[in-house]
Amino acid sequence: MGLLTWLENLPLSTWVHESTSIWAQPTVLTLHTMGMGVLVGASWVLDLRLLGINRNVPLSAFRWVFRAVAISLAVNLVTGVLLFMARATLWGTAFPFAIKIGLVVASAATMLPIRSYVLSSDPNQTEVSGRARMLAIASILAWAAAITSGRLLAYTVAG
Amino acid sequence: MPSITSFNAPHAHLLLNHIPTVGAVAALGLLIVAFIRRDEGLKLVGLEAVFAVALLTLPAYMTGVAAYQKLRGQPGIADGALRLHQDVALYGFTWMEFAGFIGWLALWQARRHGRAARGLVATTTALLFMALVVMAQAATLGGDIRHPELGGAAVSIPVADFLASKISDVMVNSPWAWPASETVHFLGLSLIFGVLLAVNLRILGVMKQVPFADVHRLLPWGMLGFGANLITGMLFFVGQPKQYIDSAPFYWKVVFLMIAGANFLYLTVFKNAWPLEGTALEGSWSASFGDKAMAIVSIFSWLVVLYGGRMLPFLGHAF
Repeated sequence: MGLLTWLENLPLSTWVHESTSIWAQPTVLTLHTMGMGVLVGASWVLDLRLLGINRNVPLSAFRWVFRAVAISLAVNLVTGVLLFMARATLWGTAFPFAIKIGLVVASAATMLPIRSYVLSSDPNQTEVSGRARMLAIASILAWAAAITSGRLLAYTVAG
Repeated sequence: MPSITSFNAPHAHLLLNHIPTVGAVAALGLLIVAFIRRDEGLKLVGLEAVFAVALLTLPAYMTGVAAYQKLRGQPGIADGALRLHQDVALYGFTWMEFAGFIGWLALWQARRHGRAARGLVATTTALLFMALVVMAQAATLGGDIRHPELGGAAVSIPVADFLASKISDVMVNSPWAWPASETVHFLGLSLIFGVLLAVNLRILGVMKQVPFADVHRLLPWGMLGFGANLITGMLFFVGQPKQYIDSAPFYWKVVFLMIAGANFLYLTVFKNAWPLEGTALEGSWSASFGDKAMAIVSIFSWLVVLYGGRMLPFLGHAF
């Protein structure tokens, strides 16, 4: 608890939380939403490919997805940490927030085996293993659950 | 003293309100002539017109709601006549959007298979006809607001019976309607971003070996996200119009939505990437400078649409 209070009282935290500047909370939150769109959208496009949309396109054509995921994940990590710090005592003690983080970590975790599967595929490989298809289904559902739990934080915790 | 750049919703509505009816007549005419002449090319022009009119019906409806909030309560303006006009317009808008969606599907299919399925074009035409009938009724009722001498009957419908009132009641009073719609809105947004990123990155030169036809296959998924967000977005707008009608970020959101929508149509129908199909050059198509500029405009527009929405509470006055 002491740690959370200390975090929340850092100058950066109070700036994000209390500043009336458009660059504080509003911009951090908007960047977090843009990152979400790219992160989840790019993941879903690859998941759809693994599930059979565009089955004639080689898996190697989707390498850009991992760069988009890495960049947007970095953006959302930074902006997410800032948003957490701004109200650390609120988020740090809220169970729904823990659920959201768990779902985000689980969703991102599904991208790791998918990544190694796609990166180790032959340049012209188009067929997808049953395991990769299961991972794609898990990825789609986990990201949807993560977005749902995140959006509902505005009502369950910070309402 | 109004400046030349000031935005006046009632004026904007008086300008835009002609587009749905006049545009729908033009699009319907094109489709009917195309059917009579069996002209496949003209059918596509008609379908493109349907999509464009469906897009522009959105600001026509929204500026109308803004005009209503400005005019209500003024002497000589009957509230019932305004509400009835607005409600019939909402029904007309809904028919028009259905026509736009099916028309888009026909265009997408025509791009892939050379011609649109007859059933889809016929369905679009029928939906457009319905939309035109209802929107013409809305236009007549709109005229009655300022011209009672033309004999429009006095309206005595209880406020709670209007569709807009019912939607607003559910959106404001149900504990779940607003959060659930927001969640769907965010899921839809991600779908749009993912698909348009893939399509535009292909145009910008990423995954060059993939034929454009293959990324084109993803567009209906983008349209699914767009449809989900149009429905949920309209639920917000009809539910709490006062949060949006005077809001600068919302104004820019809708303007850039029009640009993004026009771009979506271009991505659906544009020919440049397709003639190489089946040739040795198929996989190595490079976009022209203009198409690359278009791809950047597309990504930028969607970012502005998101920015305008997310900034509503901060730059506007929502919530």
